[in-house]
Amino acid sequence: MDFNSYVLQMASAFAGSMGFALLFQVRRGKLMLASLGGLLAWAVYLALGPVMPQDVPRFFIASVALTIYAEVLARVVKCPATLFLVTAAVPLIPGGSLYHTMRYFVEGDFAASSAQGLNTLLLALAIAVGMIVPMSLFQLVRRVRLRWARIEAEEGGK
Amino acid sequence: MEKRNPFFFTADDADQLARLEAADRANEYLYRVLDIGQYMLQSGAEISRVEDSIRRLCTSFGAQRTDVLTITSSIVVTIYAPQFGAVTQTRRVAGQQYDLHRLELLNQLSRRICTQYLSLEETERALEEIRNVPQYPFGVQLLTYALISASFSLFFGGSAMDAVASGLIGVLLRYLDRVIRQLEANAFLSALICSCVGGLLAASSVALGLGESVDMISIGNIMLLIPGIPLTTSLRDMFSGNTISGLLRFSEAILLALTIAFGFALVAALM
Repeated sequence: MDFNSYVLQMASAFAGSMGFALLFQVRRGKLMLASLGGLLAWAVYLALGPVMPQDVPRFFIASVALTIYAEVLARVVKCPATLFLVTAAVPLIPGGSLYHTMRYFVEGDFAASSAQGLNTLLLALAIAVGMIVPMSLFQLVRRVRLRWARIEAEEGGK
Repeated sequence: MEKRNPFFFTADDADQLARLEAADRANEYLYRVLDIGQYMLQSGAEISRVEDSIRRLCTSFGAQRTDVLTITSSIVVTIYAPQFGAVTQTRRVAGQQYDLHRLELLNQLSRRICTQYLSLEETERALEEIRNVPQYPFGVQLLTYALISASFSLFFGGSAMDAVASGLIGVLLRYLDRVIRQLEANAFLSALICSCVGGLLAASSVALGLGESVDMISIGNIMLLIPGIPLTTSLRDMFSGNTISGLLRFSEAILLALTIAFGFALVAALM
């Protein structure tokens, strides 16, 4: 893949994320941030290309990156992380793979169809697990911090 | 003297009255809390956020114990406090429309209620305001559909002409989807009709020389139509322990996605 197609893919990932952000009524101030998340996710995916040939781990890491981006941003601008998470994940959604699955299916090529179908499912799983891991870690950190604050307050009171 | 069941009205009447009044207030308050939960769910919040918000809201107005259960389209809440006993309400939630701006406002509101102890009237006024926040105008929405289809057609490797064709078809399809849904057809029928029409339009635009690849035009439109967000949200729900909701939403989203891809692929293969 040459440099131009990298740029084209990142630009269209950005535009596509922005489209979904608009569709889901994200307002002006956060529109750019949400769309940049989509670009970031795809940039991570592309950057991993030379190191990892397989799609599933690349999708996983891209998803981890975009979740960290969304969680950090949610704390900075004080709004639900879902807002950034949902719009930034759009370029990762395996729509192309899904289409090819069904295309093989209607053409009667069941072997290719089931292989492609499994691929689609694994990609979706990679995205979901990639989101869950950092989200749980962020939650854990928050709980530990709260407990610490409580212990310190109790000791201070004595 | 009249005989009485010994288990009822053993407390003196004044006490009983205070309790009933407290229960009335708790019921009214709970109704508003469920309103907030319902709008959150409809705007696209994940299950754990809805349950967490409801729990915090109930605790903030004095419930000692709150039990919430949310399953895709229904919320059940029971709250308990010695002042009013146990109060339960359920809510059936129909229809989802993703609106992340509204979700953000609802989140702010529920935080404000918990920290500033808003009264019932204030809460109601704030909810009404959120309900009346305008959405993007229709023209912008149509442009949005074109933007999504065109960029994903390019993204998956289509040419510039494919993107243009995909954008135009995308606008038509979303409009068609809206018309069919107004006729109250079910989501699957609507998806099947939309995707077949989409496939036909893609094939005919290639035949007319606008666009080069039926596949690339169709993929742009599939990205516009498939429920990609419910798909990822449902997987997240499952992994965070809300297995029932996750599974229900997941199977719904998968069926819908398969139906849409099937429609496009069917026409492409027949042409």
